[in-house]
This record gives sequence, C-alpha cells and structure tokens, in this order.
Amino acid sequence: MNRSPTSLVDAVGAGAAAPAARADRGVAGSIFNIQRYSIHDGPGIRTTVFFKKCRLRCLWCQNPESQQELPELFFNAEKCIGCGRCEKVCPEGAITLRDGRSWTDRARCTGAGACVEACPQGARSLMGRVASVDDIFQEVSEDAIFYQESGGGVTLSGGDPLAQPEFALAILKRCKEAGYHTTLDTCGFAAWHAVEMIMPYVDLVLYDFKHMDPDKHKQYTGFSNEPILRNAKGIHHELKVPMRARYAVIPGYNDGEENAAALADFIANELDRSVPVDLLPFHKYGGAKYQRLDRVDELAETSPPSEAALAALRDIFLSRGLTAKIGG
Amino acid sequence: MISTSSQSLQKQSTFATADEMSPRIRRLKERLYVDRYPLSIEKSRWQTQAYKASDGEPQIIRRAKSLACVLDNIPIFIEDDELIVGQGSAKPMGLELDFYAGLWPRDEIEGLREAGYDISPQEEAEILDMNAYWQKFNPLSRLGEDASEEMWGFLKSGMVLPPWKSRTDGPGGGYAESGLGLGPGFYLMTVDFELALQKGLLALIDDAEQRLAAIEYAEKDALERAHFLKATIISLRAIIGFAERYADLAQTKAAAEADPARRAELEAIAQICRRVPAHPARTFREAMQSFWFTFLMITPSPTASMGRFDQFMNPYYEADLANGRLSEEEALELLQCLRIKDMQLNRTSGKAARQKNAGMAKWHNMVIGGVTKSGEDATNPLTYLILEAVRRLPTAHHTVTLRVHDGTPEPLMKKALEVVKMGTGMPAFIGDRSYIAYLLDQGVPLEEARNYAIGGCLDVTLPGKSRTAAVGMFIVSMVLEATLLNGVVRRTGDAVGLSTGKFEDFKTFDDFYAAFKAQLRHFLKLHADKNNAELLISRELFPDPVRSVLMDGGLAEGKALLERTYLLENGALLNMVGMINVVDSLTAVKKLVFEDRVVSQAELIQALDANWQGREDLRRRFLEAPKYGNGDDYADQIAVDLFDYWADVAASLRSCLGGAHKPTGISVSSQWPGGAQTGATPDGRFSGECLADGTMSAMRGRDLKGPTGLMNSAMKISQNRYQAALFNIKFHPSAMQSDEDLRKISFLIRTYFARGGKHVQFNVVSREILLEAQKHPEQYRDLLVRVAGYSAYFIQLGKAMQDEIIGRTAHIGAG
Repeated sequence: MNRSPTSLVDAVGAGAAAPAARADRGVAGSIFNIQRYSIHDGPGIRTTVFFKKCRLRCLWCQNPESQQELPELFFNAEKCIGCGRCEKVCPEGAITLRDGRSWTDRARCTGAGACVEACPQGARSLMGRVASVDDIFQEVSEDAIFYQESGGGVTLSGGDPLAQPEFALAILKRCKEAGYHTTLDTCGFAAWHAVEMIMPYVDLVLYDFKHMDPDKHKQYTGFSNEPILRNAKGIHHELKVPMRARYAVIPGYNDGEENAAALADFIANELDRSVPVDLLPFHKYGGAKYQRLDRVDELAETSPPSEAALAALRDIFLSRGLTAKIGG
Repeated sequence: MISTSSQSLQKQSTFATADEMSPRIRRLKERLYVDRYPLSIEKSRWQTQAYKASDGEPQIIRRAKSLACVLDNIPIFIEDDELIVGQGSAKPMGLELDFYAGLWPRDEIEGLREAGYDISPQEEAEILDMNAYWQKFNPLSRLGEDASEEMWGFLKSGMVLPPWKSRTDGPGGGYAESGLGLGPGFYLMTVDFELALQKGLLALIDDAEQRLAAIEYAEKDALERAHFLKATIISLRAIIGFAERYADLAQTKAAAEADPARRAELEAIAQICRRVPAHPARTFREAMQSFWFTFLMITPSPTASMGRFDQFMNPYYEADLANGRLSEEEALELLQCLRIKDMQLNRTSGKAARQKNAGMAKWHNMVIGGVTKSGEDATNPLTYLILEAVRRLPTAHHTVTLRVHDGTPEPLMKKALEVVKMGTGMPAFIGDRSYIAYLLDQGVPLEEARNYAIGGCLDVTLPGKSRTAAVGMFIVSMVLEATLLNGVVRRTGDAVGLSTGKFEDFKTFDDFYAAFKAQLRHFLKLHADKNNAELLISRELFPDPVRSVLMDGGLAEGKALLERTYLLENGALLNMVGMINVVDSLTAVKKLVFEDRVVSQAELIQALDANWQGREDLRRRFLEAPKYGNGDDYADQIAVDLFDYWADVAASLRSCLGGAHKPTGISVSSQWPGGAQTGATPDGRFSGECLADGTMSAMRGRDLKGPTGLMNSAMKISQNRYQAALFNIKFHPSAMQSDEDLRKISFLIRTYFARGGKHVQFNVVSREILLEAQKHPEQYRDLLVRVAGYSAYFIQLGKAMQDEIIGRTAHIGAG
C-alpha cells in the first residue's frame, strides 16, 4: 500500500542521527513527539512519547506521519513562497520548483533535512527524530513531581511502540525503576515474545481494536486481526495486565452494529467484563497531515459519526454488561 | 427549608443543574448593559461646597464634613427589582468625577466624551471651575513642582506608568469612579468588615465619644487624636443618615407600589436600612445590606477588597437556614444581587492611565476558602454558594479568589474549576503555603498570617492590619534599554540612569549583568523616592476617617491610615512589569554575544535600532536561544537571580510609613503600554510589542513544553519572598471537559502550590483568541486545546482542524 519502511539502522548509517543507535537498537529509537501534560492517555498527568513506525496501514490513520520509522518531510504548501533555497541545498536533488512552489520527489527524499534549515518561511519540517533512551527518560522525568501528586506517569503511543520493542522495553524499564506509572497504547500487532518481554513493565494497556472481521481487517489495515486478538487474550489472561479497550469508530468502515456486537462479545466472553471500553469517534483532524506528506487522504469524504450513532453503539456494549464511554 | 451545613454541602449537585437565572436577576443584569456611561459631578459639587465652607479647619475634619455633605445631599434612588440598595453614583450606571488624583483639563474632558462618556456643556464649565479650586489640593503638582531634574526625568520617562506630561498636571486627567467614600482609591487593603457587621456603627460612635471625652491634652498627639475622633463621629453619623435616607425612600416607594410582592420587599428594605449599619446585623439579609453600605464608603477604589467574605458571612447564613428564615435559593439570589451591585460600580480615568487598566479593570476581590486562624480547613456552605453565584451570573465583577491549602476539599476544587471552565477566569487560585510563608517571613504571627486576604488582584493584605498605599507599574524592560544605552532612557533621550559604559565595551557577560543590576537599583531607588513623596503628600491631603476607623485599633490609636505602622507594614510596593522579557533578553545576550560569540555587540545594537528590519536571520537566532518557561536552567537561573535581586533591593529601600518596600509582581494590563514604550529587545521581541503578561508567565509563545514545563520554571523562583506573583495559563475549554480533566487540573494546581507556587489562573480561551492564534501562530505556540481524545497545541493543527475547533468553541463559551 505504501512504501515499505526503511530501517533505523539505514537511517543512522546515512548520517542522519546519533551513531550510538547503531550499536544497540535498544538504547535509541525513532519518535516524532513528546507530549507533556498529556491528560487523555491514562490516569493522572502524563507525558506521552509518540513512537514512529507501525506495521498496520489503517486507511483512517490519524497520525500518518508516524507510520514510517524514518524522519519524514512535512511540507506546508500554504507557507511556501517559491524562493528556491531548498532546491539549492537538497543533497539528493529531490526538490524542484513547480507553479511557484517547491515540490519534493518523495521517492528521492531521504529526510536529511537540509531544506528544513534553509527554508526562511518554516514551510518545511521533519517529522521524527532519533532519540536515546537517556534523552527520553530525562525529558519525561522533568514532570516527575506532577506524576507523584496525580498518580500519572508515562505513556508510550505512536505509531505502535511494539514496532520498536527493544526501545520501548528500555524506556519502560527506566520508568518503572523511577516508580512512574506506565501505559502502553498499542494495536497489538506484534510477535508474542515481544509482548511477553514488555508487559511486565506496563501498568495499563490501551488496546486498539480496528475490526472484528479478519478479511475486513486485512482490507483496511493490511493484515488479519488474528494475532491482535490472540495477543489481547494473552495479555489479559496470562500476563494479567490491566487493559482498556479502544474502539475508534470510523463511519462506513467499522461502525456497523454487527462489528460492534462482535467486539462487545469478544471482550465480554474472551476477555472479561472488567475491561472498560472507550469509543473514540473518527475526526477530520488527520486530513491536513496527509496533504503535508503529499499523500492522499482516503477518508477525505468521511464525516464524524453522529452523537446518536455513537450512543447506539455504546448501548451495544452496555447491554453486555460492559463499562463503555464515548471519548478517551 | 431547614438544612444543616452538611446537607447543603451535599446539595451542590442539585443546584448545579438549576441553570435558570431568576427573572429578577435577568432583569437586573440586562440593565447593566448601557451604550454610554453617564458621568456625574454631583459628588464633587457637594464635596467642593463643603470644602469651601470649612476652610481653615483641620484637614481630617474638612474631609469628614465633605463626606457628610455628599451623603446628606447626593440624589439617591432604588432600582426596580433590587434587594440590596445603595448607589455609588447619582446616576444609574454612573461615574462620579473626582479631583483628588488629578485635574480634568479641556482635552481630557474631550477624551472622556470620545471614550463614550456623556458630559453636558454646563457640566463642563463647572468642571473647569472645580479644577481651579482643586489645584491647591493637587497631589501631582506638589510632587512635580518639587521634583529634582533627575526625578523629573524619571517621571517623564514613563518607566513607572503612565509618563508625565507636565510638572503640574502629571500624566493628565484624574479618576472618575462610582463609590461614595473619600478615597484615594488606589489603596490595596481589606477593612475589618466585622466591626460594622457585629458591633454596628452606633457602638463605634459611642466608643469614639468616650475616647474623645477622656483625652488628656498633656500628650503631644492629643489634638491630632481629638481631630481624628471628631472626624470619625461626623463620618459614621453621616453613613447612618445615608442609610436612613434609603429607609425613607423605600418606605415612600412601598406606599406607592401597586404590586403587593414588591411592596413587601420595599418595606423589608426600609426596615433593614433603619437597622443597619447603625446596629449589629442579625440576619443574612441585614448583613448583606450592612456590608454593601460599608463597601460604598470604602469605594471609589478599584482595589477595595471584599475580604474573607465566606468566613464572616457564613454564621448569618447558617443561622438563617437553621431558623428557616432563608432558603439556599434566596441566599443565592442575594449573592447574585451583590454581583449586580458591584457591576454598577464603574471606573475610568485620564487617557494615559486608562490604558494600563484596560476594560474598566477593578479588583473587588472576594476571598474564599483557605484555613482558619487555628489552621483547620475553612470551607463552609457559603464558600460553595459564592461559586455557584458566579456560575449562574458570570459577570466580570466582583472577583473571586480561592485560597488553596493541603486540606482543601476536592469537591470545592471541582466546583471552582467548573466555574473556571465557563471562561470567566474566576476564581483565581492562590496557595496558602506561599502566602503564609511570606507573612511569617515578615514577622506576622502564624494565627494572623492564616487570616490573610487579598487586596487588588493578588497582593496579600491582613484584614484591618495592613494597607498598601503606593504601588506603581515599573517597566523593567526600559531599564535594560537604559543599560544598553549607557544610562539614557531610549524613549525620552534623557540621561536619567547611571553611566555604566557603552555596551560595545563590555568584555564579559558578568560585567554587563552587573551594569544592569546597578541601573536597576538606581531606578528602583527613584521609584521608592516617588512612592514615599506620594505617601507623604497623601497623608497630608487625604486622611480618610472611615477606612481608618475600620482598621484594627483605629479608635484606640486615634490616628488615620497613613499615620500608623501596621502589623504587616506593606505600605509601599515595588511592582515589576516585563521582567520575563528582560530574563529572556539577558539569557540570549549571554549565550549568543558573550559565550558563543556568534553576534557582535555592535551588530546587536544595530539590529535592535532597526527593529530587526533586514536582520530576520539574527532575530531567529535570538528567538531560538533558551527561554524562561521551559524548565531550562540556562534561562531559569537568570530569572531566579533577578527575582531575588529585586526582593533584596526592595528590602534595602525604606518606606516613610515604617519598614521597607515590599516586592510584588502584578502586571494587570500594563504589559501593553509598557511594551509600547519599549523598543526591540534581544529576546526577539519587536519594538512596541506587548511585553509578557503576569510575572511567572512566559513571554507569549516562548514556552513550548505545556503547563508543567512552564511551572517547572516558575517553581524555581523564590515566590515566597513576594507579596504576589501573577501566573496565567491559557486553556481551551476542550482541555477541561470531563470531571477527570478537572481533577487533573486540580492536581496541577496542588503540585504547583506544594512547590512554592503562589498563584495561578486559567484563561479558558475564547473563539476570538483562537481566530487570533490562526492569524498570528507565532504568538500562540503555547495554546493547548483538546482534540478528540487528546490534547494538542492549537497552532500545530491543520487549518481545517483549527476551523473545526473554532466552530465548536462557539457552543462552549459562557452565556
């Protein structure tokens, strides 16, 4: 569907990032944001570390800049004045001027970032950077006193943190040593050994369910949901990590009664009624990001679900004795 | 309708659903919105007449007689629907022109007309006549005419806002405000309301008469005390007479009233006004009316405090509830009536001063919560009810401030944040730990310290035991300019500062930093001199028997406010505006000019002179240098050091009232005129651009790590040494939707206060601000919004998404 992600080691080899990353993938990784005072990704006041890289390619992905592991160019065409400075500095010759604005040949762009420095308008930025575990731990620790008071801590989100398992593990270990509450926001698409390795350091899992039908799941995300459902059961029953189920409601894709009922049944029967469910309504906020990546927003015409539709879906969960609410 | 206190605490949830404003409150509220505010000269007319008639008598007696003349003669009226009566002006929604703080020349009168105030030609002629009379009592000309060249240069510079235009008229224009007291208005103080409520004015008169009879004239100050006591008796009798006038008027209106319900209300009002404030209040209604009469006598004042209202009013409320005399709903209506009464008190000033207090700014601050004198949680049913009154009637005034201590109940925090969420900016939150630590450091005993209230927006006061009478708006960024220019004030070209050397000649940052500190000390000394001169002039011209007698030991001491030294002697303050711009500027100079040496001194001076024109590249570097507000020690350490230095300098500058000057940090809206007077600064700010607001807040858009990152910087500063330290955080309503969101903000507040924070208030950002943020994203980089399921920085969102959020906000704003 999209270009396959190149590896972090390649990126480091190209001179884009800290050489330390080459020696041990566990001590450095690729992230695209650290969000302080993050209050909707777990209990208390939190800092959320947004990982790059995800193996799924959900059509409705709201963070398309997170999918690839490498830093990726964000281009805000509204700001570009067509001065051509970026064209002159690009080491790959990937930039040309077209209709008074710069245009980037994405196939040749390596995310080196020379154009970002050169742009006087701030129209170009890089999404993503390589960060060491030390750097991340230092930044998340700045708010340690706020975690203490509020019962908060650190959330790993993405992308999918399970797509960089050693890196996620190293951060989680440091956070647990420091006594922070840890939350992992994941779609669960990972090898069981990775899940097993990480979960002892996780206090809460926010687990995203995309679709209950394996074929539809493959159609919309690129892969079957089979390992996702299996991992969910394992996390709940074997590893016994507290979980919240997250259901992003995407009109026309996974908002059918049948799908909601299947998910509710799965949670109630295969997991446990103690697992609460958050219904997260689709929103239009990812659209601009696709533009800035020169990609097509497949859901440009899709509208957010109505409140009535959401309530009806929520009732399906409630009718099975589950706890469910709308919003994160 | 009998309910105990615990029952009514549990009932919060019931009144949280009753959104309907009563028809009475709705009608009263509608009458607050007028197109043009009428100016009145009734008060000054009677005052002038009394002054002329008492020529030659002791000043404090003349003042008392002038008050009595106003209270006996000013036209009074009771508006339909009112339950609390007493107007602060002769005209509905009117303002009384005053002469005590400056005169009203023709151009200033014209300026008032342009600003929307009505003045008839006859009134104008009378104003000009009164100018001629009041010239001899003009405090500005006394200060200006005697000022040394250096002081004159300082006054003219506007370093303390606003800049003076002439030695005789000061900045030009006086004040026009509602309120019938003697003034001067700009005192930050909390009178002891309980004296009037619990003893009644007759008891005070009785006490004064006995003391007068007992005076031994063998003492040096005997005559002064006798004058004070006589003035007190004249004033208090006049206030009782004023209440009687309202009782008569209510009686007359009742007789003519067709509606039996309203007739009963008017008859009740008449009875209450015959009773209070002469006698002790017995019921909540009497207490509310007594409080309001007292309040009218301590205003006009933008900074008169309403004190710890929930503490001294709750006994009346609970007793009435227990006796079935009053229901919770009725009490709520009375509290809303008080909000209406306060909204009727308006305020304006001469052109130059109008800007520094934009939008009829005033801080009639009602302080709630906190601890009792013995250290217990002071929350009571009225604490909640006051917040509910704001929620139902979210007007801009009166202000409410919530004292937070370790044991503040979480339901109270929730209630307060639900009100904040409506976008009123109220209540402000203040930390008992830091305020009490400040007072203990000033030598105030613990029990008294626990009883603190707030004067003005945030300055600490002790009810009846302190009064601040001198506070200016000192623009720190102008001192930085004067340091870069070897002692010359950029705005006027006057060499008012020290010769500390040319900027180009400094070899190290430490040398330059030392020069800045020397300049700062020099200018603060001038500021302190100005404060002291003003205090002495005020003491001579404007003794106020009313506020003096409502202070602790007023009659026993027999002296006016400015003749005494109080338990907390914070008579004179040094208040900073724009310090954070200076911190960021010095940080950038240190890094880029002296450490990394990527920019030469001459280059920087040229770029600043050119207002960065043609040097966008350089400006970008200065913008990218470390900034206060991100928890970064490199910048924060300069902030820590300068705030300590300011407090040290204050402590070394004596006040003529006793003790030293006290450090404080409140910007009000002075960051705008202060910014307009300051050229480009090395923090990347353009010439004329607004300075950072507040004291602990970062410069707009320079803090990039959210509220916790900003707090991490602010908590490093020794705020305990300050009387006040203003700190604003902007939130979008979407960041405070669920109860869980509010709980997290409560944690944020508690953590900040547990670690030395003094104050925080939340600006829940309106649609208008979001539109501005779209246009000028660089100024709103710190604006936090909640997007479905997560919080984000507004300007980082795409245009379509921003539009969607803006559209959504329209539904959330206060009604």
